[in-house]
Amino acid sequence: MEDNQNGALATLSRSRFSETWKTVGSLMEPLLSLQVADPRRIYQPGDELECECQIDAVEAHEIQAVEMSVLWYTEGKGDEDLGVHYFARRVPSDSEDRDLRPMHRFTTILPNSPLSYSGKIVKVRWCARVRLFLKKGKELYLEQPFTLGNVATAQDAPS
Amino acid sequence: MRWENELARPLHFLAIGVQYGPSVKLVASQRSTHVVSAEKFVARTFRLWQKKRGGRRTGSRLAGSVGEAVFFGILFLLGAISLTAVITSQAMNPTPEIYRPGFGFWLMVLVMASFALIGGTGVVWTAVCAGTSAERRSALVKHAAGMELISDAMPTSLEFPNVPRDNFLTNSPGVKLKYRLPTEQSNIWRLGLSALIFLVSTGVTSVLIVMVVNEYLAGTPDWFLTLFAAPLIVANLWAVRYFFSELRSQTRFGPTCIEISNHPLHPNSECEIFVSQAGRLSLKSLVLSLVCEEEATYSQGTDIRTETRVVSRQEVLRQESTRIEDGAPLECHGTLIVPDRVMHSMQSGHNAIRWKLTIVGKSERSGTMRRSFPVIVYPALPQQTNNANGR
Repeated sequence: MEDNQNGALATLSRSRFSETWKTVGSLMEPLLSLQVADPRRIYQPGDELECECQIDAVEAHEIQAVEMSVLWYTEGKGDEDLGVHYFARRVPSDSEDRDLRPMHRFTTILPNSPLSYSGKIVKVRWCARVRLFLKKGKELYLEQPFTLGNVATAQDAPS
Repeated sequence: MRWENELARPLHFLAIGVQYGPSVKLVASQRSTHVVSAEKFVARTFRLWQKKRGGRRTGSRLAGSVGEAVFFGILFLLGAISLTAVITSQAMNPTPEIYRPGFGFWLMVLVMASFALIGGTGVVWTAVCAGTSAERRSALVKHAAGMELISDAMPTSLEFPNVPRDNFLTNSPGVKLKYRLPTEQSNIWRLGLSALIFLVSTGVTSVLIVMVVNEYLAGTPDWFLTLFAAPLIVANLWAVRYFFSELRSQTRFGPTCIEISNHPLHPNSECEIFVSQAGRLSLKSLVLSLVCEEEATYSQGTDIRTETRVVSRQEVLRQESTRIEDGAPLECHGTLIVPDRVMHSMQSGHNAIRWKLTIVGKSERSGTMRRSFPVIVYPALPQQTNNANGR
């Protein structure tokens, strides 16, 4: 994960500081940034989760909306279930200068359940997610996982 | 804060693992080293048929939504135009005879109205789904569930989302302890169904046998009826055998009663438990366990399947070589300890975590008895965790 991140970082820095930035600018995908305040990313029910999101490499007028959410979803054998705990949608008219790119902070108090869990056929994951809607109809999203609670990983029980 | 400053710096701007929607993939072009969309360079051939792989599809979501909207739009137009034409023609040239109930005018109105309704609903639903993200739809559902009238009827409370309510487990007081737990009803339903099949098949077969025997006695045997009755008699014999085997398995062990001093349960907590087993039998062993199992429901083709997996089994009580007599049920007291850091009970659309007390009795002659009593384990709240750590 860290390697990928550093690799992407290097690619961007070369593009930005080279002369080719303008020519390839239209081909660049918008950049999303989402930061979770606590670097350990382990929370307990009732804790406050604080996140910051920021958008770059896209013109302000191209952004249709930005959605920020804190949610859980299931993984494993069953079909995916999803539950949103916090949701906020921002459109350009929500901002004074109609620019949604600057850093935006949101906080929420985490619920009592469901807790993060790694089971055998059912897994519960928590994440903060930011979803960017462009006027071309394209969507991009980025999520940062975190852990809610302190549940042990499941083991196969003897029959 | 340090991480805020880092975020502001351009070189640290890129986020960890930018992820894109299903139809958009990022690749790093080797020649230009710029991050670009593959779709801009690779021409995609138009495919009439697409594959569905679980929740994913190989085709474009936009094209799918447009196709769906077009289909429902055509259905709506077909229904609305036809309905208007039928009603208008009747208004212009009224013919009172066609108002009589039957398969003429009213059937046409019903069919066309249903086309218009299904088409209109489909267009609206497609528009809602196409214009909103999964998170936004889920937030709308959550907002609706938060309304007072609806939230009371929801299977989970607002304080503990996705944890089942325990109302149906605590509405029966116990004799020795506070609550008497209900049993899972699946076996009773099986017995009821087998009783119904047994009664119907026995009734039908008895009438047929009487008719066949009467014709034989009258000297005019009906061979067709005899051949028709033969497989029914065989099926009836199977139904009789199945019903009595179910009845025996349900009644040979007598009722099991479990009472508990506290509910709901919490991780790293304990409570008293009382077990009563009636009947007249000799048991090699009787074991009560606290079991946690995961349940996942998934689509496989057109089938919907459910798989369960036991992930925790903790023995609570054990009795070896016991003889139970009529009027003197076996009674055991014990302490139920819920392990620390276990997952709480959870219920969502396709996935669940279930806790239950399972009692397994092995008889010397009557086989094995297995009965389950669901319980709810709530999450440990931080203050409870701190108290437990301080003990």
